[in-house]
Amino acid sequence: MIKKILIANRGEIAVRIIRACREMGIQTVAVCSQADKTALHAQLADETICIGPAPSSESYLNVSRIISATLCSGADAIHPGFGFLSEDSRFAKICEKCNITFIGPTAEMMAQAGNKAEAKRTMQEAEVPTIPGSAEAVTSVVKGKKLALKAGYPVMIKASLGGGGKGMRVARNEENFEQAFVTAQKEAKNAFGDASMYIEHYIEHPKHIEVQILADKLGHVVHLGERDCSIQRNHQKLIEETPCESLSPELRKAICKAAVKAAKAVNYENAGTVEFLLEPNGNFYFMEMNTRIQVEHPITEWVTGIDLIKEQIKIASGQPLSFGQNDVVIRGHSIECRINAEDPDKKFRPCPGTIADMYLPGGPGVRVDSAIYSGLVIPPYYDSMLAKLIVHASTREEAVRKMQMALGEVIITGIKTNVDYQYELVNHPDFINGKTDIDFIEKLKKSES
Amino acid sequence: MELRYLFKKAAFVNHSTSKENGEDINKPSAPEGMLCKCAKCSAAVFTEEVSKNYYVCPECEAYFRMDARTRIKSITEEDSFVEWDTDLSIKNPLGTPGYEAKLQGLMEKTGLDEAVITGIGKIGKNETVLCVCDCRFMMASMGSNVGEKITRAVERATERKLPVIIFACSGGARMQEGIVSLMQMAKTSAALKRHSDAGQLYISVLTDPTTGGVTASFAMLGDIILAEPGALIGFAGPRVIEQTIGQKLPEGFQRSEFLLEHGFVDAIVSRKEMKSTLDLLLTFHSADKSTLGSKVVADIAKNASKANANTVSSNSKAKKRKNSKLSAWDKVCISRQKNRPVADDYISAMFDDFCEMHGDRYFKDDKAIIGGIAHIGGQAVTVIAEAKGKNTTDNIKRNFGMPSPDGYRKALRLMKQAEKFNRPIILFVDTPGAFCGLEAEERGQGEAIATNLYEMSTLKVPILSIVIGEGGSGGALALAVADQVWMLENAIYAILSPEGYASILWKDAKRANEAASEMKLTANDLLSLGIIDRIIDEPETMNEESLEGVATNLKEQILSFLSNSNSLLGEDIANKRYERFRRM
Repeated sequence: MIKKILIANRGEIAVRIIRACREMGIQTVAVCSQADKTALHAQLADETICIGPAPSSESYLNVSRIISATLCSGADAIHPGFGFLSEDSRFAKICEKCNITFIGPTAEMMAQAGNKAEAKRTMQEAEVPTIPGSAEAVTSVVKGKKLALKAGYPVMIKASLGGGGKGMRVARNEENFEQAFVTAQKEAKNAFGDASMYIEHYIEHPKHIEVQILADKLGHVVHLGERDCSIQRNHQKLIEETPCESLSPELRKAICKAAVKAAKAVNYENAGTVEFLLEPNGNFYFMEMNTRIQVEHPITEWVTGIDLIKEQIKIASGQPLSFGQNDVVIRGHSIECRINAEDPDKKFRPCPGTIADMYLPGGPGVRVDSAIYSGLVIPPYYDSMLAKLIVHASTREEAVRKMQMALGEVIITGIKTNVDYQYELVNHPDFINGKTDIDFIEKLKKSES
Repeated sequence: MELRYLFKKAAFVNHSTSKENGEDINKPSAPEGMLCKCAKCSAAVFTEEVSKNYYVCPECEAYFRMDARTRIKSITEEDSFVEWDTDLSIKNPLGTPGYEAKLQGLMEKTGLDEAVITGIGKIGKNETVLCVCDCRFMMASMGSNVGEKITRAVERATERKLPVIIFACSGGARMQEGIVSLMQMAKTSAALKRHSDAGQLYISVLTDPTTGGVTASFAMLGDIILAEPGALIGFAGPRVIEQTIGQKLPEGFQRSEFLLEHGFVDAIVSRKEMKSTLDLLLTFHSADKSTLGSKVVADIAKNASKANANTVSSNSKAKKRKNSKLSAWDKVCISRQKNRPVADDYISAMFDDFCEMHGDRYFKDDKAIIGGIAHIGGQAVTVIAEAKGKNTTDNIKRNFGMPSPDGYRKALRLMKQAEKFNRPIILFVDTPGAFCGLEAEERGQGEAIATNLYEMSTLKVPILSIVIGEGGSGGALALAVADQVWMLENAIYAILSPEGYASILWKDAKRANEAASEMKLTANDLLSLGIIDRIIDEPETMNEESLEGVATNLKEQILSFLSNSNSLLGEDIANKRYERFRRM
């Protein structure tokens, strides 16, 4: 069993990991940058090592310093959290070489799942649905039309050298394919001097659905249900919930089964997430695999009663999973809101500063994962997430009300936050009625302006 | 009080599953050789990362010492290097006890036969002779075999008309070989002199550390001397100097940057850019390229001259109209305008691959003069310019375009180099005058200018000088003893400033305006006096934006000048230049 863990991260996830370790009787070593000496994780751990100046490249991303700190402190494992080095296969490889247990998948799995093109190929071989489309580029309308039919309308036609929306057109049916193809190709030729085009099935108004996976070293893989993370601003998730109410039991089963297949296809171990795009008609497609713990893991923990961080540590120690798929039961509904230090009035610009005062809600079914306290200086160098507010209730309706109530109680003064913005979102009829998809925030922006 | 002192922390459990046996094996540790320590910042860094980063510390950018084979690999084309003279027999001229055994041991340990690897290889498309010292072998001190290998390599290069590149690093002479080691300094220097007299190129690259007898011989004799950043370079080591004079030496003393500032190094080149820099320098000097280049120049010039014939005639009409509006004093003011393009702008607008060379090799690198090698129309040329700045900071650095003696000596050094390699010289004049100050007099301002006039008169390569702004007196003439002198339409060229003229003649500097018109300092005046040969048109407002048009026109004219000069013999060029000034 692991005796001492170095947490190669900061903020609420570092605090979350320290707390899990405490419960398991494992010693903790925090690392911090010079800008983070007063950060909660640095104050809470059993030992803290300052590993360098404020910029991440000289501290939380500096592999040699983190390895040195691990060896000096006598820790036998590293938990990478999320972000920073969590998906750096080179880092995982070095840990392996130094006989340090990396709490996560092996470097090989990480590299395999992290390479998008390769991952797509692996998934196709494993019969996990991927977005249908041309493997090779085409230049003629006739060939393009054949591929479009195969991919299924509507299709996206895009320049192989494309970027910035140039040389991109959607064709909704066979009739307007030719025109769309010719226009896109002309644009591509002018902009990039290349007329070869890719054709791919175009997914309109999808939902972002991801499935939590746990896999041990012995090859046991279980899923812990799905999460709906469709509410995103510029690809940043804002609100996540589980279960996804628009999934029928059959569809849920199919998606979760596909996720387990995907994990098995790469011989995955430890906690991971398989992301899918779900079309309104119920078709779903593999997007990518995240080989780390996710920000939104607490909602899964709440509906399953399984502590994912502890499971990660147990798996890394070589223990087999203590439960099977049938033991996993989803109870009630859980929602998470991310609270960030950013100014919604100024294009969500990060707003570092000092927290003057704060009040965070509590009571039954309310959980706050945070690393903030009154008087803490939020440095400008890192991610702006301050806290995660998570609620749980027996039904979605109750959970939504609980979230509205809890967000209404959050008070953070001294810096600008997105609390009010989130409050508006959870009071929006579309959210209340569960009618959100990936374009929800975009549509809101348009209706406002 | 900080939270850490208030938190009650839970005690941890002692997981004692498999305590004693096997614990040590499983204990995390870094495998041998995975990490190494940077000698400068003491950081533990990954060896692999260091080697991928050209052996530069990823933390502090200090340079790790590089062994000779890695160095050769990093700069030559794959499999192109052929090693020479690996079988010289061990010599112990003074019979120093234990010396042979020591050499034998080092040979086994390093896999080298001596402290230098010599041979022939390719950098880009250029074949070159290479000598690379390896400081793992007795600090690359110069034993007789080191001297012998270098000398043989240089001799072969001379014979085959190939360039030589030597990567120097050395502690100096080899004590065990005493006076015989000292003689290697003379031997290698003599071989390099023959190589130079045969018109061949030698590039010296100084790496950490280059000291003692090596500095006082082959290392400092390059036509071009490059250095790696932060390398220790000096004759007497810093410790010896400190002990001798009993003084603490300043920070950065004897480092590459110090040598650059003091004019002994042409450029500091990072390892990442070393190969491409050497490739470019060799290309500048390759025989094919220069003939090919001059052909390209001729072609371009032919087309340009046709087009030009029209523009010149139409321009001259426009000129008359425009010029009538401006007084001589107006032009003085225009020539000094802050936003008027400076030499730097002309160089980047008209030349490709400009490679700046620094230093006079005596005392200083004067930033009021910039010089180097560049391509124009595919032909290599030496470009030297009096450089003003564009803002106050820049101007302080460039001393407001007023060169010191060191600047003129740098210019002359580069012009002599151009002559050696048969490269035309393009000069840009833009100075209020030579720097007038204590230091300039101490180091011989008059002597420096005089020497330039004297030496430039017989250079056997084409020289074109273009006055782009102010042509202030002797300070300007020191870069204007040329085959042709051209002026921008609103540039000026005079015996001294109008202010100075007025104060000498009329004891009143305020009458500068009046002086300007009497002095005949405008381009038109000077053309009619036969002092200059051509006027380059200017747009109404001359700034960075309008420079493009001027530069295109000027470049065409330069190409046609080069095309006409390329066919002339060196002697004839020098004679014509003599006649040009003889007439005045």
